[in-house]
Parts: sequence; structure tokens; C-alpha cells
Amino acid sequence: MSVMDISSGQRRARLAALRYDLYLLRKNVLSMAGLVVVVLLVLAAAVAPVLAPYPADAGTQVHMSQQLLPPSWAHLFGTDEMGRDIFSRVLYGARISLGIGVFTIGLALLIGVPLGLVAGYAGGVVDEVIMRVTDVFLSFPPLLLATAVSAMLGPSLVNAMIAIAIAWWPWYTRLIRGQAVSLRERGFVEAARATGVSHLTIVFRHILPNAVAPVIVQASMDFGSVILEAASLSFLGLGAQPPEPEWGLMVSLGRNFFLTDWWYVTFPGLAILITVLGFNLLGDGLREILDPKTREV
Amino acid sequence: MRRGFLLGTLGAVIVAVILAVAGCGAGQSTPQVAVYANTNQVVVFWDPSDSFSNEIIVLNNIYETLLRYDSVQKKVVPLLATDYSVSPDGLTWTFDIRKGVKFHDGNELTADAVKYSFERTIQRGKGASFIWSPVKEIKVLDPYKLEIDLKYPAPLDLIVASGYGAFVFDPAAVQKNGEDWFSQGHEAGTGPYQLESFQGTQQVVLKKFDGYWGGWKGPHFDKVVFQQVSEASTKVQMLQSGQADFVDALPFEQVGALKNNPNIKIVTTPSYQNLLGFFNTQKAPLNNKLVRQAISYAIPYDQIVSDVMKGYATQSKGPVPAGLWGHDDNLFQYSYNLDKAKQLLQQAGYGKGGFTLVLTYASGDEFERRVAELMKSSLAQLNINLDIRGMVWEPQWDLAKSPNPKVRQDIFLMYWWPTYADPYDFMVNLFHSESSINFNLGYYYNPAYDKLIDEAHSVSGVDREKAIQEYAQAQQMLVDDAPAIFFYDQQYVRVMRSNFQGYVDNPAYPHVVFFYNTYRQSQ
Repeated sequence: MSVMDISSGQRRARLAALRYDLYLLRKNVLSMAGLVVVVLLVLAAAVAPVLAPYPADAGTQVHMSQQLLPPSWAHLFGTDEMGRDIFSRVLYGARISLGIGVFTIGLALLIGVPLGLVAGYAGGVVDEVIMRVTDVFLSFPPLLLATAVSAMLGPSLVNAMIAIAIAWWPWYTRLIRGQAVSLRERGFVEAARATGVSHLTIVFRHILPNAVAPVIVQASMDFGSVILEAASLSFLGLGAQPPEPEWGLMVSLGRNFFLTDWWYVTFPGLAILITVLGFNLLGDGLREILDPKTREV
Repeated sequence: MRRGFLLGTLGAVIVAVILAVAGCGAGQSTPQVAVYANTNQVVVFWDPSDSFSNEIIVLNNIYETLLRYDSVQKKVVPLLATDYSVSPDGLTWTFDIRKGVKFHDGNELTADAVKYSFERTIQRGKGASFIWSPVKEIKVLDPYKLEIDLKYPAPLDLIVASGYGAFVFDPAAVQKNGEDWFSQGHEAGTGPYQLESFQGTQQVVLKKFDGYWGGWKGPHFDKVVFQQVSEASTKVQMLQSGQADFVDALPFEQVGALKNNPNIKIVTTPSYQNLLGFFNTQKAPLNNKLVRQAISYAIPYDQIVSDVMKGYATQSKGPVPAGLWGHDDNLFQYSYNLDKAKQLLQQAGYGKGGFTLVLTYASGDEFERRVAELMKSSLAQLNINLDIRGMVWEPQWDLAKSPNPKVRQDIFLMYWWPTYADPYDFMVNLFHSESSINFNLGYYYNPAYDKLIDEAHSVSGVDREKAIQEYAQAQQMLVDDAPAIFFYDQQYVRVMRSNFQGYVDNPAYPHVVFFYNTYRQSQ
């Protein structure tokens, strides 16, 4: 067998596996629905400037003569108390919410994963110290911790995202440490160690790829939670600041009108609901695909 | 048969219940209870000496002052003092104390008690105790005559009528129970209502004090409940269902929705409350007077009044609100004029804009937020980026007082209303130079201005005309230096049940309902 053969064989096997993954995903109606929602959301965020009838309304533009108009063809979701088109703002809000998800989860992974790998691989005192630190963080309810941190940093969307990441990373540390501990004793790791491969290479080249699956599942499930958490912080006045079209902030401002102008809270609220639901369904589907126990049909 | 029997019984029961309810309404057997739903914590400080917050809505029904400012007649009227006189130099004030007034614990009110109350407030030095700063000495001439000597002339008649820090309470209660007794949720006032119970800072129940000197003839409420209800929608529902008789404020959109409800009455009254935006005069680029003037020209005042305040406000002329003495109707007013703003920015060397200003406001305040958003929209046209930050009051204030001037905000939105009905309260608290930052949140420093208003204050007790003239001059300085944006003088919009009678809004005691004067009209 030539080298070529091996690589093309591997590629074929990978393709087959991917096709099987997709098949599994398609088979599950709910996770498929989740995928559709997420794809639509990404699309909405990407083409918001084209799709939004009044893109300037997501910025500094106000139209005080058009306050609180009910939904109509001109304003599909109605207008808010500054006369801005809620449909346009909800579309732009998708950008913010996705941004929040990517940034926050990314930051949490960046902190949590290396720490977990090191703790699990090194063991002993290093493990103890890192895990006790994560225990301290985990002993607070995440929203409370995020609220406290973001109150300390001052109200802004970026600070809110940092605050959530600070409350979130310990979960990944714990998850990946468990994986690392079990992988540490496996034959291929011992073999690598025996051939003199450096610890750093072992951790990142051999352990990480094999430990990453549950983290991916967890991260995809957390996407929705993080968006919800950021919306909660904005709702409390600790996250996005007016006039940013952040969904949580819109719900917070719109709640004053919910007896008289129902559309103001309803549409941003629905956007949050659908987004969080979409990511949760997708996360569930991914777990089933990546978990060997449920993978077998 | 069976069904008929059931229906008959049911009918009888319903009739009985209706009769019972009607009977209760007609007779005086059930106590009349008034409910006031207020946005904020109803009590922060229980101590009448320290009170400087929203509890004045409660305490003004428990405690009384020597005089009360009548905003309709624009003069003080007797309360615990039946009369008073002042010496020609404005330094010696004599008060006749009302006879036959009892504290809630049964002790009698005397001039000694008044002296003790004021001196305790001065000595504790908390809350609004600063109102007493002109006082040199308090003397008891006889059990019902009190003399107050001043260091410099000041309008003491207005000071003793203050809704903050001028309450009279029973010295015996403090001497018996200790200094902290009030703070633990006790009272010893002379007012028409006494404390029955309270739950934290959210709810207070008062019951009528049988020994009240004013007597209880005619219709009155037997009990008054003060309740914190922050959510506007909840307040609306409470009003509609009759669970609340009076609410302090509602978003104007919701006021409009209630207009056609026959059970609900909407009363609009002028207030001494205005909205200001303090420029950080110590930090570039706002340390440049021209930039401050430019931004003053870039505020869409008319739009704020019509679309944010729905017409329940007028654009301010200087810091002293219309309706309060010392207000100058001829004062210059900035108008919305972006060309003029651009021109001034050019003169200042900021023609291209391109800078960011941080504005802080009290998070949750819908009016401030909308004003800020309109400003952002307008300043964007001058290529100035306004960074809006909604903050809880304490951190917002702490940031403004930060020892490092660089981290402080550029524009601070704040309401002001006077501690007592005096323009000096606006002029001194907001713009007099301060050795440590308190409420001069634009950090304005102008010795000539300081001198002028201090002089005006010292003559206002004896020569009010001269004081008004000097205050006008000082306000001219402020308008020219533009240390703040003078947005609007607002009206209060009170919403209450139609059968809630006897209420007269008094802007000298903002948000206070003197429940003794109110009653429920029987249908």
C-alpha cells in the first residue's frame, strides 16, 4: 500500500463518517429543526443590511413622529417608543446575539480548556489547585456571578460578555479534565510518552483531539444559554446600552408597554425564545451523534 | 325539584352577600383604607433627623413642621407654629408654638421639644441637616415661644417648612429609648397618622392618631398603606381594580390609555423638578465653553417636550424652575440649531467632531433614557459619538465623584428638586464650587458666581427683591458658561381613583400626599 492509498482511504472513511453524521442528524426531526433555526439565524445576521427595511433604525436614527405604531406592512413588527422599526432592529439583534455567543463561548473555552487539560494530564498538586479554583467559581450561580462581575466592570455589552465568560469557563475545565484523566493512562499516550514526545505536544496533539467531542456538544448547548444570559444582563441594565438593538434590552425597555403595545416585547422576546430553542435542539442532536452509545442505530 | 332548590339557595346566598357588602359600605364599621403605590422604596431612613429620601412621603404624615409652604398662595401657612415674626435685620425669628398638641406617645408639644428636635438634627449632621446652617442659637422664651437666632439673614420661614430635616419629634422618646430607636422603625411625631406596621422598605401601614390636634371631624381615612410598586403595568392594574387609590407616576403612554376610564382621575400639576445634564467642565473637550454651548444648541428641546414628555413639561430657562420664586422668565434659552452648533464647534477647534462623550443616566428612568437617545441621534449629525450608560444611582454617583478626574463621565443626567422652596437650593447645590464633590456634578468653578449667590441668599430673608435680582444675574452667568444643559421643567402627572378626594399637589413636598386632607367619596 502506498502512502497515497492510505490517505485517500482515510479521506473516504472520513467522508463516509460525515455522511453518516448528517444522516443521523436528518433522521432526528427536532435536531434538524434546530439546525434550520440556527442556519436561518446566521443568514439573517449576515444579510441584515439587505433584509432590514430601515437599517438606520438599528443605529442612531429615530423618528419621533412614528412612535409605537402597531405591526403593518410598512413595519412588520411595529415600531418602538422612538419610532424605530422593530423588525429591522430584531434582525440586527441577531448579529449581536450571535456575536455574544461566539465571543463568550470562545473566551470561556480559551480559559477553560487548557486549564482542564493541564489539570487532568498533570494530576497531583496542579490538578488540586486548578480544580479547587474552579470549585470556587462553580459555587456561585452563574447569573449571579456574571451580574456581580459586570456590575464591577461597568455596564456595557463587552463587559457583560467578559463577565459571562468568567462565570462559564469552569464548566469546560471540569468536563475536559475528566476526559484528560481517563485518556492519560491510555496506550497511545503512554506510547507517545515512551518515545520522548514533549508534554505540551502530548496534551495538545494527542489528548485534546480525543477529548474534544463532549466539549463541542456542551458548547453548542451553551450557545443558547449564553445568549439568554447576556439578554438577562441587558434586561437588568448591565449589558447592552441603548440604542443597541440587543434583544434582552429591547424586552426590558418594551415591558413598560406590554399592556398597551404588545408588539414591542413580543417580537424580541420570540427571537430570544426561538434562538435559544434552536441551539438547544441542535446541541441535543449533536450529542446523540457524537455519543458512541446513542450513535449505533 | 332538586335543581330549583339549589338555584333558590344560591340566589338567597347571593342576595345575602350583596346585602352584607352594601351594609359594610354604608355603615362606618369597616375602616377606610387608602393605598399609595409608589415606584421607589417607601422608607429608606426612619430617623426624622436623617430623612433625605423617599420616606418623606410617609414621614410627612407622621411628623409635622412649624410651618408649611402653600404652593398655591406662594407663602407659608401655620402648622405647629400658630404665628411667627422676624426682626428687621432678618437675624432673629420668633415662633408661637401651638398649644394642646400631643405626640403619639401622649406627651405634650412644647418649645423645648422643638428646640431639642432641631438641635438633634443639626448635631447628627446627616440628611438635610445642612438647611440649618444659618442657625446660631435656638432659645426657649417660654413653653410656647421659641426664638431662633441666625448667623446671617436667611429665609428661615421656608427652612422650618422644609419637607426634609425640619420635623418636630418627642425628645422623651429619644431620651428613653436611645439614639438608634428611630432607625429601628419607630416614630414619635405629632402628625395625624401613627405607625402601625411595616415590612422592610417595601410597605408601611399607618393608622389614624386619635389624639390629633386637628381632630377627626368629617371624612378621613382610618388607615394608609404605602406600597412600593416598581412595575408601571402593575400600578395600572392596581388602579383599575381599585387596589390602589393613588400612584406617584406612570409612563405617559399608559396615562393616555387610562384617560377614558371613568374610575380614574388624572391630575397634572406644575412641579419644582427639572432635568439637567451636567457637562464635565474639567475635562477636554467640555472644558471649552464653546463646545458646551455648541452641545446646548444641539439638543432637540421641542422634540423632547412633545415626544418624550408628551407635553407634560416646558423647556427650562436656567436652573430655577418656573413657578418657584427666583425663576427668571427673561433668561436666555438655547434652541435647537445645528448650524449654530457646528459654527461654535469650529470656533473651538472641533469643527470635525470625531470625539466620544460618555453620558450616564439613572438606569430604569425611561425619560432620561429617551432624552439620551435623542441626544445621541442629534450629536451623531455633528460627528460626535455619545456613549450612553444606564447606571444604578450609587455607582453613577461614585463614578462622578471618582478621585481620578479622567475616569469621570462627560455628561451626567440628573433631576433636581429643592429641599425647601428656595432658588438657592438649586444655585448652591448644583453649581457652587465644592471642596469635595457632592452635587456640583459639572465641577463648575466660578468664584464670582459663588459670591453672588451667597449674597443673594443672605438677603433673601429680608429683601427678597434684591435677592431675586442677584439670582437672575447669577443665572445669566450659568447660561453663558453653560456648565449644564437645562432640559425641561416637568409637570407631575398624578393618577388616582376618581373617588379619591381632597388631594392638592404641593410641589414643595414632591410626591407627598397629606392623607389627612383626603377621603374616599362614597359612590
